Amino acid sequence: MLPDDSRSIGVPPVSGADVSSASDSKASGWKPDLPTGWKPVPHWLPWLLQVNDSQFPSGAYAHSMGLEELTQRGLVKKPEDVEKFLHQQILPSLRAFELPFLAKAHAAAAAADLQALRALDDELDAWKLAAELRNASRQLGSRRLSLIRKLDPAPLLEDYANSEAPCHHLIVCALELRQLPVTAAACAFAQQTVSGYATSAMKLVRMGQEKCQLMIRGAMLALSPHLEAAVTQPPERIGWFNPLLEIASMRHARANERLFIS
Amino acid sequence: MKGHLHLTCSLGTNGESYLREQSFRAPLHLSKPHHDAGALVVNIVNPTAGIFDDDEIDLKVTVEADASLVLTTPSSGRVYRSRNGADARVKQELRVETGAFLEFYPEPFIPHAGARYHQRNTIRVAEGGSLIFFEWLSPGRVASGEAFLYDELCWDTDVIFGSKVVARERYTLNPKDESLSGLNATFENAHYLGCFVLGAFPFPHAEIEALGNDSVYLGAGPLIAGGWTIKAICRDSLHARRTLSALRGILYAAMKKEAPSLGRF
Repeated sequence: MLPDDSRSIGVPPVSGADVSSASDSKASGWKPDLPTGWKPVPHWLPWLLQVNDSQFPSGAYAHSMGLEELTQRGLVKKPEDVEKFLHQQILPSLRAFELPFLAKAHAAAAAADLQALRALDDELDAWKLAAELRNASRQLGSRRLSLIRKLDPAPLLEDYANSEAPCHHLIVCALELRQLPVTAAACAFAQQTVSGYATSAMKLVRMGQEKCQLMIRGAMLALSPHLEAAVTQPPERIGWFNPLLEIASMRHARANERLFIS
Repeated sequence: MKGHLHLTCSLGTNGESYLREQSFRAPLHLSKPHHDAGALVVNIVNPTAGIFDDDEIDLKVTVEADASLVLTTPSSGRVYRSRNGADARVKQELRVETGAFLEFYPEPFIPHAGARYHQRNTIRVAEGGSLIFFEWLSPGRVASGEAFLYDELCWDTDVIFGSKVVARERYTLNPKDESLSGLNATFENAHYLGCFVLGAFPFPHAEIEALGNDSVYLGAGPLIAGGWTIKAICRDSLHARRTLSALRGILYAAMKKEAPSLGRF
């Protein structure tokens, strides 16, 4: 469970905020002293802002997830190439695979069904054919789980951490965001993925922070019309074809010079 | 047309592998198997031009304990334009028992313009079994100006080692969306090679990696258990064929086996 003091906090209305938090605060008996027109924000928002913060020490900054090798191969040379890569390879993959998979994991985490969650975690080991991407996902997930256990000492997290599960990043995100509506969880996961690539691109091609932020904004705007459907009406058969990124990751694992772990 | 090919390869008392069971129905047919380099070499022949919408083909192959089978095709596999919007469907179930070996080496798959195709591969390898599984997906009839003009290809693969799923792939390739961007970002008419290798032998990583060059983007790495995967994107069919042939030689050498002749010239 999240700490009680995070149940709701009075701030200006947020577009798309979950109005159900108003009934949550009634149920708890706590009445916020808010000006007219103000709504309590969802109880999960402070938690989301913290765990999705780029400063959250998950170690993601050390991973390019295959992008470094693509720049070395000359397939990604300039900011426009990074944008093309995001829009043609990463966003479709999120829509066709990661987000529907996250929805399944989120449902299992929300129901505290650790057995189902573990099965999905093991399945990700098989989906991630490139060992370096597989290991990166496990490292990021394990590190994230280690910290969120301290921030949110829930038995569910303890039990999962002690189960010797692979702890893929996607599974840990589902656990971490289990109290959010699934669409918000998917949005957060997608934002982490996109910003991870865009941030690492700043170290690989000539582009600055402003361009990086514009790139993230552009990608998220392109994705957002599809987010809801990806998690609420997932296709029966999910998956994505990207041999380019898999090969890049396999080659990166054995490169002589590397800036990033993956 | 609903066709099938069911084979069970066993090790005979004379130490040679043989087909203990075989059953097939058009459009599939078998050539006369022959022995080479300790393996039984079986060519799967499709005497028709290829497969069409609504065709269903069921391939089941079991290689029993200590037997050795090479399964190949003498010519490319083709799927033609879907006339009624339905898929052609192929289901392949390969099973390798302890001590057994299977090589699956098909010629390229050529999807014609307007083709719709769904292939399901389920590959089970027992602990102590060995496998080399190749697949080669071409962009189409490039010489006729047909590259990536198929309608939709669906590919589902599960590789199971012991009782554990060690590789899973599901993809839908549709030239009208972004699904080919991970393939043709490298070469305009890219050929895709995929390979799964299972077995207990030292993986010749450096030799395989050395096959990469300006016309072949290749990577290899370990699966979560039991073996490795190799993937390559090749500039054209010549580079794809050279790469596949070289890979085969390297893998057999690493397994300390002589590569059986496929009878190609």
